[in-house]
Amino acid sequence: MSAASESQMRPLLEMRGITKRFPGVVALQGVSLSLRAGEVLALMGENGAGKSTLMKILGGVQLPDEGQISIRGEPVVLGSVKDSKAQGIALIHQELMLAPNLDIASNIFLGNEGVKGGLLAPLRRAKMNRRAAELLSQVGLSLPVTTPVARLTAGQMQMVEIAKALSTQARIIIMDEPTSSLASAESEQLFEIIRRLKQDGIGIVYISHRMQEVMDLADRITVLRDGRYVGDLERAVASHDKVVAMMVGRELSGQYFPEKRARTSTEIRLEVRDLAVPGAPARASFSARKGEILGFAGLIGAGRTELMEAIFGVTPALSGEMTLDGKPYRPARPRDAIDEGVYLAPEDRKRHGLVLPMSVAENTSLPNVASYAPLGWLNRKTEQRVAEQGVERLRTKTPSVQQAVVNLSGGNQQKVVLAKWLAMAPKVLILDEPTRGIDVGAKAEIYRHMADLAEQGITILMVSSDLEETIGMSDRVVVMHERRLKGVLERHELTQLAIAGLMTGRDHGAAERQAGEAEVALS
Amino acid sequence: MRRELGMLLALVLMCIALWTSNSDFLGASNVVNTTRQISMLGIFAVGIAFVIITGGIDLSIGSVVGLTGVIIARLSSTQTGGLGYPLWIGISVALCASLVVGLIQGLLITRLKLQPFIVTLGGMLLFRGVSQTIVDGGVISMGDSPLLGLASGGLLRIGRDPLLGWPLLIFAAVAALGAYVLHYTVLGRYIYAIGGNREAARYSGINVNRVELLTYVISSGTAGIAGVCYAAYIGQMSQQVGVAYELYAIAAAVLGGCSLRGGEGTIFGILIGASIMRVIDNGINMFQVQYTDPDGVRRIWRLNPNWNWIIVGAVILVAVILDQVVHMVQAARRLREASARRPVAGPPNNSPPVAAKSPTA
Repeated sequence: MSAASESQMRPLLEMRGITKRFPGVVALQGVSLSLRAGEVLALMGENGAGKSTLMKILGGVQLPDEGQISIRGEPVVLGSVKDSKAQGIALIHQELMLAPNLDIASNIFLGNEGVKGGLLAPLRRAKMNRRAAELLSQVGLSLPVTTPVARLTAGQMQMVEIAKALSTQARIIIMDEPTSSLASAESEQLFEIIRRLKQDGIGIVYISHRMQEVMDLADRITVLRDGRYVGDLERAVASHDKVVAMMVGRELSGQYFPEKRARTSTEIRLEVRDLAVPGAPARASFSARKGEILGFAGLIGAGRTELMEAIFGVTPALSGEMTLDGKPYRPARPRDAIDEGVYLAPEDRKRHGLVLPMSVAENTSLPNVASYAPLGWLNRKTEQRVAEQGVERLRTKTPSVQQAVVNLSGGNQQKVVLAKWLAMAPKVLILDEPTRGIDVGAKAEIYRHMADLAEQGITILMVSSDLEETIGMSDRVVVMHERRLKGVLERHELTQLAIAGLMTGRDHGAAERQAGEAEVALS
Repeated sequence: MRRELGMLLALVLMCIALWTSNSDFLGASNVVNTTRQISMLGIFAVGIAFVIITGGIDLSIGSVVGLTGVIIARLSSTQTGGLGYPLWIGISVALCASLVVGLIQGLLITRLKLQPFIVTLGGMLLFRGVSQTIVDGGVISMGDSPLLGLASGGLLRIGRDPLLGWPLLIFAAVAALGAYVLHYTVLGRYIYAIGGNREAARYSGINVNRVELLTYVISSGTAGIAGVCYAAYIGQMSQQVGVAYELYAIAAAVLGGCSLRGGEGTIFGILIGASIMRVIDNGINMFQVQYTDPDGVRRIWRLNPNWNWIIVGAVILVAVILDQVVHMVQAARRLREASARRPVAGPPNNSPPVAAKSPTA
């Protein structure tokens, strides 16, 4: 056996018996992982399974308490971000780690300026820009390297992150939910690059909650649960159900998505006619029935969030009409919408949905806090009782309602957002990416709650970039492209192909389009 | 650069207006005096820019200016209350003190993770008190110390006044060095990165603590240098020297395009901002309107000196309001253009393209 193939046999990265304790919790308990060159290893597990801690250890952000890491058979200590980089490890975080005020080239070489002489060494911009341009072409991004990062789309930022990883000659790239903020087309581009990186012998640890992607991309799947290593699956023998079973430690009973109700009411709850949303070229018209889950599919930037913000009064519509239960509805600010029973659980829950340092109870009462203070002072007992009801109803995992929301997992945070609105008897609930960054078990629960709410007659507008979810949950789907409504798909038309076609700008078939228009006109 | 150029235009207009109302504004002695004021403010405004661009704040620099001057007076003055050591000892000790102040505050902020506002607020009060204690609540005169030459002397004399006073030359050097570090070195890049996205900087392997610590030392250090100049200029050191100067420096930085959120600002902008602050101060004294009253007596109308703070405050507010309005108008226009452009890229559609042009309807 030649030396070259022997070195290929040796794992590029090996972690053995990694244990990490935090005050009160054991984040990782004897976890092992190995990654070969040119391999995509999917790391899966529910939130709190220890994936991020493992990543932080690899990134040199945290030191393990026990265990050994070796790279190409050599034991290494990753004591700092610099050490980790020096070993050829690059991390791409879920929340992209770029400085928006700097240009692409500066971001690519941030912390790695390639000049000697310490902090006061002069930058060599021409050289950096030249090299950055090369890297950008490698990741298929055709933009000037002097473009400020603030102007890029999420997908382009992701490419810059990858270019940054490549700039450090990384042999091991760890990606944490890289597609969570990408639309399908951008994800495809990312997968293309991942396949190319594989060919170059780079090992990739791919963390994702999206089963489909993992099945498409991964050579092997390592599953963690509650900080422990559960097992490895070769792609050939892995199946959706098997992986999920390993992640949750039990077979998910029956279906992932709840059964759809036979018929939704024909009563119109929200009607939107010729709504002009700032920045959108065309006016939007659609209607949503009582007890219906109306999905909104589209690429990132298709204008779905903007449309929802207009309906919630964040950015009031410029013209057009809306009616709620037949009465004119024209919110000029979120307060108006809330007073009418229209609530929004925003896409970015940490920024718009929750006040992280505040407790579960305080977050639950926030939009309605005046009603807890009929005499001017806040009735903390009522607040607590209502919050406890919410926790019970949604089975939120929290030690108490006094716990700060920042300490909860993504899925439980989302439940707090839902509980906050449920406490106020919603008519229309707008859920923008309701399961983004939420693990499989919690996802299934959120889905069940959504179905329950629809059953109770609440109208749900669900914006989702996950096609599986859109199809699995929606009664009908509105597809948007380039800030226009492309069509409304009925339940029997809901296929990945049909939605994806409209989403990427293909026109609805003539017959179907007429049907769609007829639907819009009828409603 | 938009903000900087806008402010430069405002500065030029302001100077022209002042000059037309009172030709003494561009007279030799007023120019020399105003330039000296701009320079002394500019020196520590450059320093605080480093802190502000990382997203921090330093409220203590006014007190550091005072402390530096008071230390020099106490150690080197030959008058009552002075210890009469050589001047170089006084200056060295004072400058070292300013660096130590920056180091201590920086360490508290970066190691103990205390908020910069609180730490430097504490520093502002504490070092003001130290100054007061050193002068024992009174005044120490520098007498006719050679130090005074630092403020009045310089190169290229025109008549009694130097065209290039020492404070101006010191400011030029500090600004040039600051611009070089901020815009052309690795450290500068890190400072902007920290202000733009602290986490990104940390995860890029940047030693954020060390860079931040350095910015506080730089800020305090430049306040020290400015303090030496003020000591030379004022000559009578009391606890009052440098009161509220940090606010002038912050205002200069903001006028010059720094964002208190961090990540934005240039040294050129600081220069413009400091100039505007001092020209306003000077302008309030210089501005006059000549008129003839109903009785045919020629009179001169001047601004009420009590309006000083009102005018300074109003200028700052107007500047940031204008900037924000321009920003919002531009953003709205970009949005309109983007939505007008998009339909062309898409496939033909049954909705009329006219709709694209009337989002403001």
